[in-house]
Amino acid sequence: MGHDIFEISINAIKLIVVFLLIVQAVPVLVWLERRGSAFIQNRLGPNRIGPFGLLQLAADAVKFFFKEEFVPANAVKLLYYAAPVIALIPATLAFAAIPLGQPVQWNEYLFRLQGYEINVGIVFVLAVSSLAPYSILIAGWGSGNKYALMGALRASAQVISYELALGLSIVGMILIYGTFNLTEMIQAQQAPLSYSLLGFTLPLNFLPAWGIFYQPLGAIIFFAASFAESNRLPFDLAEGEAELVAGFHIEYGGFKMLLFFIGEYGHMIVASALMVLFYFGGYAIPGISLADLNQWTADHTASANAASLLAGLLTFVCFFIKLSIFLWIFIQVRWTLPRFRYDQLMDLGWKTMLPWALFNTVLTATFVYLAHL
Amino acid sequence: MSADVFLFWFLAILTLAGGLTTVLVTNPIYSALSLAFTMIGVSALFVSLNAYFLAGVQLIVYAGAVTVLFVMVLMMFDLKHELITFTRGKISGLVKAGLVALFAGLIVGSVLITSDVFSKSGGAPEAVIGGDTTKALGTILFSKYIFGFEALGVLLLIVAIGAVALARSKGGTHAK
Amino acid sequence: MQNSELIGEIGLTHYLILSALLFVAGMAGVLLRRNAIVILMSVELMLNAVNLSFVAFSHYLGQMDGQVMVFFVMTIAAAEVSVGLAILVSIFKRYKEINVRFFEHLKG
Repeated sequence: MGHDIFEISINAIKLIVVFLLIVQAVPVLVWLERRGSAFIQNRLGPNRIGPFGLLQLAADAVKFFFKEEFVPANAVKLLYYAAPVIALIPATLAFAAIPLGQPVQWNEYLFRLQGYEINVGIVFVLAVSSLAPYSILIAGWGSGNKYALMGALRASAQVISYELALGLSIVGMILIYGTFNLTEMIQAQQAPLSYSLLGFTLPLNFLPAWGIFYQPLGAIIFFAASFAESNRLPFDLAEGEAELVAGFHIEYGGFKMLLFFIGEYGHMIVASALMVLFYFGGYAIPGISLADLNQWTADHTASANAASLLAGLLTFVCFFIKLSIFLWIFIQVRWTLPRFRYDQLMDLGWKTMLPWALFNTVLTATFVYLAHL
Repeated sequence: MSADVFLFWFLAILTLAGGLTTVLVTNPIYSALSLAFTMIGVSALFVSLNAYFLAGVQLIVYAGAVTVLFVMVLMMFDLKHELITFTRGKISGLVKAGLVALFAGLIVGSVLITSDVFSKSGGAPEAVIGGDTTKALGTILFSKYIFGFEALGVLLLIVAIGAVALARSKGGTHAK
Repeated sequence: MQNSELIGEIGLTHYLILSALLFVAGMAGVLLRRNAIVILMSVELMLNAVNLSFVAFSHYLGQMDGQVMVFFVMTIAAAEVSVGLAILVSIFKRYKEINVRFFEHLKG
């Protein structure tokens, strides 16, 4: 955590802020989703409480708190209560490992704008998010309802199947950048874009060396698989209203339901953040290299501490904007695409995405080998 | 008591409790869930031994895939409490429990007796494996153990084919 | 070995004993339980215990070979579970029961 009381307390506050970030983003996202879906469908959406219906969030929160607390008759009580809490764990833990901005150098201390720095960050994020099926399964079985159980089995089978394609699509990035460390991966994406193979070089200096230009196929597979991972449309078979009523959280209401919501939106945030990190340069501002940015902040502020802090804030804002773009894509896709059938979903995962991800891996490995000859 | 020592005892107790619950609980679903808990505990113990990559793989493979499969299969069968959880026959059960206890005593005793040997030979090189071991693991895996690695790939292919052949049923959505 | 040393200083011995106890718990499960799936789970527990001792040796002896072995064991364990569960699912479909007692009915 740190060596003296100042560093430890700042790091502790940082952890709390990271946790609150993901929890507090959810009401805003819910509002955005309801208003956005309304505009997509030519409606108005919630607009009565506060400006643009923004206070609807507060009203919802009050409603959630005052809902009746109930347990279904057939439920297994321990598991029924444990599931919503477990749903929070994977998303929040994974989000804490993601670097949100340039590290801030304050006198002799170095504060990273992330919950904790891990050298094998990618493995950690994948490992923690692979625990997601547990909360779904526990909720489905603990509710003592066969629709909930069916929804849980579907959802967890889907999450496990798409995890393969998700993991394999990242392997290409790991091969190219040669690191598991998320911060190093961002550093590697700073240079201007240039393709070089067997002695030939094709410089494209007007573009940054973002992952998307090296791994377009991997980016598409990753993004599609992350929709399935976070159980969103067009892959939200777990919630097929027409056949399963509401899926694994059919028996949950009030605040417990809200916890599941936070978990689902948390997965969405983590997936968008990873997308930004792997394929869109992380917290770097497009067109301005980190060195230029540091130079600019040093010129415009009085002390080195302030310059570092300003650079950290600017990169954080940039990361946040990139993140919001992907979150909006998540929402827009939900309200424009129809749902898959279950066998189509499994076919897409196993027969289309997995072979293409494998092909991408082999192709990348060949090119990396040729480039290092 | 330093943080490392506290961490070890904390994790050791949690992991052992999880392992014992797996074996002793009568409901198989609770068994599987506490097995998952044990896997997570073992992964944390790997972190305390500086094997970060293996800790991640342990979570992905064991906790994220193997145990989820167990839980899913058990939920699909929808087994409630079992009537006959343990072996029948008091004498054979007692003999088995006695054998288990004997074996435990044997291992723990031999480890304790030989602990001097390890502490003598193992004190110095600890500094070698101080930091992150991921890179060293990758290097040795793809040089010294490359044939084993390739053999594993073949094994996985065979197993995938075998599992599909076993689980294939007539009918269902894919029947032609 | 002094008592305070046993608690206050963690060494290879501690990890080995923990691994031994986990292994024995798994063994007890294999011997005593009658549900075939729980027996498979106990086998996984034993494999985990062995993995723990491999990593502990690798850490304290300063050699990477132990970690490579763990890698191999994990892969083989995953393979074993997938085949084992496939067999159990087909047995359950046939007999609606996965107690090992019922496997007596299987004849060549």
